Amino acid sequence: MCLTHNFWQLTISGLSDGFLYALIALGYTLVYGVLQLINFAHSEVFMAGGFGGLFVVQALVGGKTPHGISSVMLVLLGVIVGALVGGAVAFLLERVAYRPLRRRNAPKLAFLISAIGASLFLVNIAGKEFGRQAIPMPDLYTNGNVFSVFGAQVQTNYVVVAIAAAVMLVFLDRLVAKTRLGQGIRAVAQDADTASLMGVNIDRVISQTFVIGGLLGGAAGFLFGMVFNVQNNMGFIPGVKAFTAAVLGGIGNIRGAVLGGLVLGVVENLGVSCVESAWRDVIAFGILVLVLLFRPTGLLGERLGRSA
Amino acid sequence: MEIKTMVRAAVPLALGAVVLAGCSSSSSGGTGNGGGKKTFAIAYQGPLSGDNAQLGINMDNAVKLAVKQANDKGDLPFTLKFVDADDQGTPDGGPPAAQKLIGESDVIAVIGPAFSGATKASEPLFSQAHLLSVSPSATNPNLTSLGFSTFFRVVPPDDAQGKEAANYLAKVVKAKKVYSVDDKSEYGVGLSGVLEPQLKTDGVTVIHDGIPPTKDYSAEAQKVKGANPDAVYYSGYYADFALFTKALKAAGYKGPLMGGDGDKDTQYVVQAGAANAEGTLFSCPCSDATVDPKAKDFAAAYKAMFNADPGTYSPESYDATNAVISVLKGLGANPTRQQVADAFKTVDFQGLTKEIKFAPNGEVAGTTIFIYQVKAGKIVVVGTTADLIK
Repeated sequence: MCLTHNFWQLTISGLSDGFLYALIALGYTLVYGVLQLINFAHSEVFMAGGFGGLFVVQALVGGKTPHGISSVMLVLLGVIVGALVGGAVAFLLERVAYRPLRRRNAPKLAFLISAIGASLFLVNIAGKEFGRQAIPMPDLYTNGNVFSVFGAQVQTNYVVVAIAAAVMLVFLDRLVAKTRLGQGIRAVAQDADTASLMGVNIDRVISQTFVIGGLLGGAAGFLFGMVFNVQNNMGFIPGVKAFTAAVLGGIGNIRGAVLGGLVLGVVENLGVSCVESAWRDVIAFGILVLVLLFRPTGLLGERLGRSA
Repeated sequence: MEIKTMVRAAVPLALGAVVLAGCSSSSSGGTGNGGGKKTFAIAYQGPLSGDNAQLGINMDNAVKLAVKQANDKGDLPFTLKFVDADDQGTPDGGPPAAQKLIGESDVIAVIGPAFSGATKASEPLFSQAHLLSVSPSATNPNLTSLGFSTFFRVVPPDDAQGKEAANYLAKVVKAKKVYSVDDKSEYGVGLSGVLEPQLKTDGVTVIHDGIPPTKDYSAEAQKVKGANPDAVYYSGYYADFALFTKALKAAGYKGPLMGGDGDKDTQYVVQAGAANAEGTLFSCPCSDATVDPKAKDFAAAYKAMFNADPGTYSPESYDATNAVISVLKGLGANPTRQQVADAFKTVDFQGLTKEIKFAPNGEVAGTTIFIYQVKAGKIVVVGTTADLIK
């Protein structure tokens, strides 16, 4: 009874959350695919994208809420700037925090510590530079109910996030499946040593993989900041959730990350319709554990190379 | 190579400088400086970083100002200085911050801790150290019944606030069904735990939910919308209430929204967006220095020193500090922590916000609760509940 009460409404807001998780999850999954490394600093790439988009939008939007074509252009611009900043930070991250370790054949644990260090560094440098208060993004359009499905109201926010995310996800899927760059990524993911013997420049592919993940993460950071607020520690929770989504779908698997993100978003939202909202994360992570008990490699299984 | 050697030489040098600086500053503390007077410190403990830092900064500044004014007057038998410790407003941040202050031997009294959770975690340490702590803002009802020997607060507990807020919702807003949400914190649960029974006593249907701070309140907002209440009350802190407000408005909730003293901050309006925040009500045991004629001088001095208006709990912090200073004055040139804590029990000081005197358990006398509302993007006072509820 309680589950059906708000079913469609919660499913829709869950899908909107899920799209954001999926965008971030791809950053984790791509990097894991080629390096078998959990890039814990990815949540800060997301944060950087949020700030990048925020500053551009703040400079352009005056007192009045824009509408019509200028809203569309502003959102597009914000997504692009967020993505570029995210990509740039991810690129630097790989250069500074990971590549030197890789050159020295450092053990896996060193990468993990380096990732955590980079993450803390970025959170705190942003806190120092931009303050630790949440900063609201100026409204880029008037958020309201656009249409309804099965009696559930669909807000402008959901539509914008879903469209932006879906376009990027399809684009990425094609990129990995069809282009030379995608071939390189898949080759390194399948077997890095053999790939290098076949003439694939591993360093370049890894760097490109980080940048692609960063572009998506940065764009997600902007979208998240647009719906909620921008803050120096905004990446932590979405980062953990997205990592969960990546594992849920099968880490290293691109479509798995998308599916995992959407499932996690919907489950979280529906989960609280019957119980106190404090149970939200308990339910979400309980389901994660259950899925992994029965399918240890996630819903769609591991491996970037094979699935894409 | 050149650079490497320089770095090698520079690091120990820099470290040495830090150590030396540390030594010299600690050796001057406690002992005489300036005409043979001893130096004592009044400390502030509260959140100076983290999501709800603004509340802490409001208080930190006011304590700083009171200490400066007392020194400037020049009639103290000792010199006062100001120190602070950041507990981020969290329970686990409390003990380390308290320990830091206890460890500084010249700290003679503490204003704070600011938040209830941090207070509960810190007070056992202060009691043990016989160090007076006067909170300007920790309103959780239980704090005065836990046997802390050196704890006082200059605001009435949430018992009073919760009851008055409930009566206001029932009798002035005329709500028949209220959706009460708390943030599961020490403070939030305490406040909703008083609000809800009182609402029921007033014949109002109550729906309860608890949600720990999160960024995404959309699911919660849908739940609220689905329940179709006449009013929503949020017991928590402003950063979260701002996001919750945003989500509620996006979900199409149009009814009255009300929060407690932890929600009342200008940052709430900024973070929720002025349009979303418009009309939101607050209950608060705090007076507003920017509108209270009695606090005019204080507000002007505050503005001159910090280039900002005093915020929520600035006047209470100022009062608490001045009450402590008034006690210190009576203790001569060399008071001990124990003496200060004992003497504070019988303080009777006319502050800006109220007459500060205490019941034996550390609870301040008198319980005036104010109602505030966001109007045209500003938080303005509506009146005291005593006047509004007829």
